[in-house]
Amino acid sequence: MTFQVGVILVLMVAAYAVAKWRKLSVELSILSAAVAGGIAGAIVKTPPLAELPRHLIEGCFPYLDVMLVFSTATIFMAIVSESGGVNYVVRGTIRAFYNVRFIALLILMIIVLIPGALTGAGSVSLLVVGTPVALALGYLGVPKKKVAAMMFILAGLSAAAPPVNIWAMMLCAGTAIPYVGFEFTLGIPVLLLGTFTALFFGWKKEGTLDKNAALAAMPEVPKGMSWWRVLLPFLAFFGMVAAYRVWPFGTPIFGLPLEFTVSALVALAVSPKRIKILELSRNTMKRLLPLLATMIVVGMLQQIMTATGVRGLVSFAVISTPLIPLYILLAIIIPASEGVLTYGAAAILGIPLIWFFDSIGLHATVAIAGLSLLWPLGDGLPPTALIGRLSVMVSDYKDSYWSFLKTTWLPWLVITIVGILMVVYSAKLAFLVKWSM
Amino acid sequence: MSREWTIKSALIAIAAVLMILGGAPLYKHRHYEVPVVAGPGVTSVIKLSEFVPSLKGSMADADVFVLEGKEPGGKVLVMANTHANEPAGLLTAVIMIENAVVEKGTLMVIPEFNASAGRNTRPGDGYPLYYDIPTEWGAKRFRMGNRDTSPLDQWPDPDVYIHYPDKQLLSFIDVRNTNRTWPGRPNGPLMEKVTFAAMEMMRKDRLNIAIDMHGAETMFPVTNCIVAPQKSAKIATLVSMTVKAMEGFDNHVEPSPPNFHGLSHREIGDFSDTLPFLLEAPIPFLDQPTGPKTVKLLLDGKDPFLLSLSKKKKLFVPYDENGWPIEKRVGQHCSVALEIIRQYSKKNPDTAIRISGIPRYADLVKNGVGRYFHDPAKAEKKSVYYE
Repeated sequence: MTFQVGVILVLMVAAYAVAKWRKLSVELSILSAAVAGGIAGAIVKTPPLAELPRHLIEGCFPYLDVMLVFSTATIFMAIVSESGGVNYVVRGTIRAFYNVRFIALLILMIIVLIPGALTGAGSVSLLVVGTPVALALGYLGVPKKKVAAMMFILAGLSAAAPPVNIWAMMLCAGTAIPYVGFEFTLGIPVLLLGTFTALFFGWKKEGTLDKNAALAAMPEVPKGMSWWRVLLPFLAFFGMVAAYRVWPFGTPIFGLPLEFTVSALVALAVSPKRIKILELSRNTMKRLLPLLATMIVVGMLQQIMTATGVRGLVSFAVISTPLIPLYILLAIIIPASEGVLTYGAAAILGIPLIWFFDSIGLHATVAIAGLSLLWPLGDGLPPTALIGRLSVMVSDYKDSYWSFLKTTWLPWLVITIVGILMVVYSAKLAFLVKWSM
Repeated sequence: MSREWTIKSALIAIAAVLMILGGAPLYKHRHYEVPVVAGPGVTSVIKLSEFVPSLKGSMADADVFVLEGKEPGGKVLVMANTHANEPAGLLTAVIMIENAVVEKGTLMVIPEFNASAGRNTRPGDGYPLYYDIPTEWGAKRFRMGNRDTSPLDQWPDPDVYIHYPDKQLLSFIDVRNTNRTWPGRPNGPLMEKVTFAAMEMMRKDRLNIAIDMHGAETMFPVTNCIVAPQKSAKIATLVSMTVKAMEGFDNHVEPSPPNFHGLSHREIGDFSDTLPFLLEAPIPFLDQPTGPKTVKLLLDGKDPFLLSLSKKKKLFVPYDENGWPIEKRVGQHCSVALEIIRQYSKKNPDTAIRISGIPRYADLVKNGVGRYFHDPAKAEKKSVYYE
């Protein structure tokens, strides 16, 4: 069995490598790996050839909801930006905080953390507040490469931040552990790591722009733009998110795609200038297409990996690793699994790991919190690199993706060490859970 | 036509063909009907919508098979396919419907408690669409479902699921998980309506026992066990000891955590007078570190990766070359359910329940599951129901 599945894995990797060598896009390369794996599997009837089309089509759907969120949220922000709202906010931020850099950085960090903390998705942070924060950082003298790196790390931390941490929720659901006790267990490390990240990337000012020059360099804001025109669409969005939290049994479930669509309509209605909505939507979707295509083909890849046993082999290899090497390997396998499987990684590796850690006397809740600091790092890794690519997009960083990723090394390392230490010393950190309850 | 358009047209054609070839089996799966022959004990078949009318006409309106004895007594509800990717429960429920005869009291069986999940698949997880159980008259085909309700029946999901009424935060996906939506409410999301309907049935019909049959991974600590709250713990302990002593299989007792909400073994006991029990039988197919997800693995539970992990003591159940065949899993469910009824009846003679015709663990291990299914082609048409 191991040999058979191993051969399929090798063929999938080879297909991916050949596709990249032939200069096909990441999406087509992943598709090649999935199809190659499926055909190789079909030779030994895992899955049977007749079922291969069904597996490929079914595999298109695990991330349909996420794709809808990305699409509607990006159109929402594109409308806010087109209406001049983004420039208006950035101008206001620079005017108020330009000379108090420490406060400015902390406020911008909190602004990025909030949407992700409320929804559990770092992508929502980037899509909703990413562009204005990135522009503000730019005018504060932070170069684009560092802005993209900072946005990526903060968006990841926002997804890990309480109250909603989807990795932790999935692990709790899969391990029958209540999703309670995470407020301080996650909140304290996220705030400390977020502050470190913001100061590390943003403290040193580059360039010679002073406050007036920065304001002068900024694009003009359309006539008639005001704070309430900017805030109303966001109030509509956060109002709907908050209403379900405050009155969960009296508020209908709208779902994030509808919440973003309603907010987009509000933004359109209060825009001081006329927006060609169809053209804007079309252009936005064109920009998003590679990201959406990635999510489709990654779903296919996951489906084929499972049907052929490759996913099980990877999971088996991780679970079989002795304890000390396993702790060290967490630094690689957790982010790498997120890069390939996104949230699916929490189920495939996370659940067996937590069962194993629990059985050797570690504190499951703290260990889950530790692991869920590591997973967001993987959202910068190929083949998916969902948050990394969004960070680059909202920061308007045009150079190589790898140079952006390399810039994140120190916060990445610090987060990795903190996450692993939380797992290793989870029993001693159990007081954080008690504080939270 | 330019070369680019020719290529694009060809790609669109390939995608369209793939969509038809791949989509048609998924459509067929959602609409495939499993015939169930109502046995001699079935006295009526009702719907969950009798307790929550707004369920009527939806995919979630599950059948409730009622087997009423001639002699009045207690009432027991058996639920399967709360999670429709854990098939031992469904097979046990169908065996009960097709074979049980109630002498005293009433047995109510819901074979597809989450009827929508039974028609759903699990994108990304590569499950087979069906599994066949061999019988003397040919293979009986069942749909392989999903843990969660189909988004075609309940959508959208919230960004986080807030459990009613405790306001505990749960993963967004749990809004479609009928073992997180207990005790439910009549005007909540579809799955809260389903659990509320079952709660109403328990409260109005004064049911004494509720048994919710599941399967759990071999790497999950809460497997091969009876999960019971404090009020059911004594009976569960007696059952565990009896099946070990009399039938030779382990089935330990796990306490229902008081602060983990939405689960049947917690909320049924807290919101009604019914005694809840949740049965977990090991299902290696659901473990993450396994080989290909095949029908064979689903039914025989044999996997070399799990065998290796077992030798490294990383599983929570005994595991050897024989795996965990479906006969053992269904046999455990049958015997444990019957023993719960027997122990309850011993303690409560006024509301005792007496049932015959249901095979026990040893019968199933010896004869196989298919031996207890009846040929729908030879049954009277009016006694064949489609699930």
